[in-house]
This record gives sequence, structure tokens and C-alpha cells, in this order.
Amino acid sequence: MDDATRKKNIRRTALVVGAIAVAFYVGFIMMGVLRS
Amino acid sequence: MQMEKDSMATVAADITDHHDDHGPAKGIGRWLFSTNHKDIGTMYLLFSLTMFFIGGAMAMVIRSELAVPGLQLVDPGFFNSMTTMHALIMVFGAVMPAFVGLANWMIPLMIGAPDMALPRMNNWSFWILPVAFGILLSTLLMPGGAPAGGWTMYPPLILQTGDAFPFLIFAVHLMGISSIMGAINVIVTIINMRAPDMSLLKMPMFVWTWLITAYLLIAVMPVLAGAVTMLLTDQFFGTSFFLAAGGGDPVMFQHIFWFFGHPEVYIMILPAFGVVSEIIPTFSRKPLFGHDSMVYAASSIAFLSFIVWAHHMFTVGMPLTGQLFFMFATMLIAVPTGVKVFNWVATMWRGSMTFETPMLFSLAFVFLFTIGGFSGVMLAITPADIQYHDTYFVVAHFHYVLVPGSVFAIMAAAYYWLPKWTGHMYNETLGKVHFWTSTIFVNMTFFPMHFLGLAGMPRRIPDYSTQFADFNAIASIGAIGFGLSQLIFVAVLLTAWKGSKATDRVWEGSHGLEWTVPSPAPYHTWETPPQARIANEAFD
Repeated sequence: MDDATRKKNIRRTALVVGAIAVAFYVGFIMMGVLRS
Repeated sequence: MQMEKDSMATVAADITDHHDDHGPAKGIGRWLFSTNHKDIGTMYLLFSLTMFFIGGAMAMVIRSELAVPGLQLVDPGFFNSMTTMHALIMVFGAVMPAFVGLANWMIPLMIGAPDMALPRMNNWSFWILPVAFGILLSTLLMPGGAPAGGWTMYPPLILQTGDAFPFLIFAVHLMGISSIMGAINVIVTIINMRAPDMSLLKMPMFVWTWLITAYLLIAVMPVLAGAVTMLLTDQFFGTSFFLAAGGGDPVMFQHIFWFFGHPEVYIMILPAFGVVSEIIPTFSRKPLFGHDSMVYAASSIAFLSFIVWAHHMFTVGMPLTGQLFFMFATMLIAVPTGVKVFNWVATMWRGSMTFETPMLFSLAFVFLFTIGGFSGVMLAITPADIQYHDTYFVVAHFHYVLVPGSVFAIMAAAYYWLPKWTGHMYNETLGKVHFWTSTIFVNMTFFPMHFLGLAGMPRRIPDYSTQFADFNAIASIGAIGFGLSQLIFVAVLLTAWKGSKATDRVWEGSHGLEWTVPSPAPYHTWETPPQARIANEAFD
């Protein structure tokens, strides 16, 4: 695998995993909003 | 074997020659701006050790107050602050950063990567931590004192915290951000930077358990952050997420907290499983029994950890079906955990075992963590838990999981990899004295707590009925002995550079890429990925 492809994959994996973390944060607050 | 040694020597020479031209930066800048996984790993480990002693000093305050019945040393409010701060510091400041430090040091070496995938974010992940704990510790000096509502931060009690409250919330957010960034780095590194031909199932167990742990962190740290954000808005912005008077639900906080809190337990124990799974094969001189089943067991434990949270809340009240579900789901965790214990024992079976300090700590881990596991099964039984809840039995249970469990695994890892880090063998005699004193005193501290709990002594209290005096006195003597024993570990570290020169392989039975680089590991390693042949030799 060349460097450019690896860098692209690293960026993509980081963004996906970061997005999951943000989704959990926002999701649980939204659950609190909807329940209260 | 000779060919393997030759190829390793070639790799070692190659690495040394290739990297003589650029070493670490000089002065404080090396540490402040470091993007090197080894430097950052070292900083994490030293930070964790510092927090271990600060949290340990708080434990000494707790056990000194509880050594005899009556109130003698500290104000009850300060006692509550000590229990709260001890827990927060040990969980978020000592155990978690220790494992992140080990991950930083060892994962790139083990998978043949030159560094973590996101080195600048790695620097941020670490440097956020001293700020977070500086803020948390500063609350000890604030009007109203440090947080005293327990590490679980249940409302409405935690909302009675004085000026410290927003600082607590900010510190928890920072710890969460640090953990999430660390977890992203681990996942991205393992997914994208493994040596050629190192398939996922060829990865060492420490790397595997960390990959699973990192996914757990990604899923649950934001949940904790969400919960404490809602606490903050309840306190300062007029919301009523958890305030019954405003139509909110305080029990919802408990559900959200434990949705984070139970996987958090596995965040602190899965990397420990990984460490022990590296060490036992080395000192048994046999491959790990059932590597793939270990991977599936760790994954199963991680999955189950998401569906058992309400076993912390049986006394809150829930429908019978809920009680049954959470009870049986919790008991189910014993199955993959049993697979792991079985595999460790099977690895040792008919092995050519020796008992150096890392192996001693690992063996104690297997025995003593299992005691914590058994008491966990007892606590899973709903009707029994209603009796045990909020007693010292629970304190005994989770301390068996976390001290001779997680902390012993961290100690085992430190002794195991120390020669690779320093290039010298540590003092084995001191190591063994450290092990035996720790093991004797840890049992002296926590085993009597089972009896105290079964006899009904509640947790988180500064005073107790005289019927509990004897076991409390024994526990307090044990705690002070355990605390002093850790000074021996400091002596081991201070003399770590005085021992004989370590070989590249260090331990006769060690396998894996990290043992193919020189000792001490050069500042830069694996800038050229290891050849598939070398990687395969290291793992087969």
C-alpha cells in the first residue's frame, strides 16, 4: 500500500470513529431531552 | 532457531544504523511537543504512577480513619471527598492512563508500525490529562470542598457540591476527550498500520484486547460526557433532566451513568487480559492456548458489557423481567471469562515454567482476579444483591477486580517490558519482594471486607458499629502495608538502569516483533515495515 492511500485510509478511519463518538454524545443528550 | 536469531540480529543492526542520525529533541521541548509514541508512552506511565500515589494517599486517609470505630482524624465531609476523589483519580488517572501508556509504547512495536497513526493528536491526548487532574485536584482547596457525592455523581446529591461542581464537570469532560482521542488513535493505528501479512487474527493478544477496549471507549466515554453535560445544564441553565421537581428523572442518570460505567470496568480489565496473555506463554515457554478463542471471548465480554448495566441498580426497583434479564445477562459474562482463565491455565499446563516477577504478578492476577469474578457472580443474583448492595462486600468485589486484577497486570507489564524500555535488567530480588509484600497486603486489605459486607457494614461511611472493629483494623494495617510496598516499585524503577545489559529478546520464551528490536528500543523503530518473513517468524 502506498503512502498516499495509507494516509487517506487513516483519515477516513479517524473520521468514522470520531463521528461514532459524536453520535453517542449527541444521541444520549437527545434521549434525555425527549424523556424529560 | 539460528536463522531466526540471525534475522533478528540483522533487523536490530539495520534499525540502529538507520536511526543514528536523528534522535530526540533536547530539553523540555522533547516532552512538551513530542509526537514520539515511546516518549508519550513514558509520560503516560509516569503520570499514571504519580496519580497512583496521590490516589493511594487518599486511600491511606480513608483506611486510617476506619482503622478504629469513631471519628478521629478527618471531618466526615472530607472523608466523603476522599472516597470520591480516590475513585476518580484511580479510575481515570491511574489505571486508564497506565494502559494507554502501555498501548503507546507497545502497540506500534508489536504490529511493526513506525509510530501511532495520529502522533500530534497523541500529544494532545496526553497533555490534556495533567490539566484535567490539576483542575480536579484544585477542588480540594475550593469553598465547599472537593466533590463528595461519590464517583458515580448521582443527582440530586452531586448537585449539592460547592464551588467545585463546574470544575468536576469540566475535568470529567477533559478526561473523556483525552480517552476518546487515545482510542481513535489506537483503532486507526491497528486498522491501518500493521506489518504486511499480519492479519487480524495474527495480532498479539495485547493488541487485540486494546482494539476491543478502544471500541468500548468510543462507545461509552461520550455517554459519560453527555450525562455530565446534562448535570451541568440542570445546575446552571434551568433544565430538569434529572430533577424530579421539574419533571425530570434522577433514575435516568443512573441508567445513563451505568451504561458507561459497566463497560468502563471492562475498559480497565480487557487490556489486563491482554498483558497476562502475553506474559504467561513467555514464562511457560509455550504458545498461548486457544489464541482465537481468546479473541472471541474478549469480543463476547465487550458485547455483553453493554447489556448488563442495570445490575448496579437492582435496589432502585425494576420490573421482574428486567431483574431476570440483567441477572442472567450478567451471569453469562462468566462463560467467556471462564474461557480465558481456562486458556491461561491450559497454556501453563506441562509448560517449562519459571517464576520471574512478571510471571508472579500474572499468576496472582489469575488467582485473585478470579476471586473478584466469583464475588461478581454472587452480586449478579438479584435477591442476594439486594442484601449486598452498598455494603463492603461490593467494595471487596471491585477492589479484587481492580487491584490484584488491573493494577497487578500493569505491574506485570512494567516488569515484563522494562528491560526493553531501559536496555537493562531490573533488580529481580527487589521485584520479588515487591510482589510478595503486595500480594500478602492486598489480600489482608480486601479479603476481610467480604466478611464486613456480609455482616452488613455499609460503604462510604467514616464511622461504624464496634462489631466491625477487628476486620477494619486488619484491613487498615493491610492497606498501609500495601501502600508502603509500592515504594519498593519506585526503588526498582530508580535502579532500573543499573542492572546487567538486556538482550534484544530479553526473555528466553518471548515471541513477537517487539523482541526483534534492540534493547533499549531505539527512538525510531519500524520506519521500514518488517518483512513478512520476519513478522511470521516472530508470531509462529
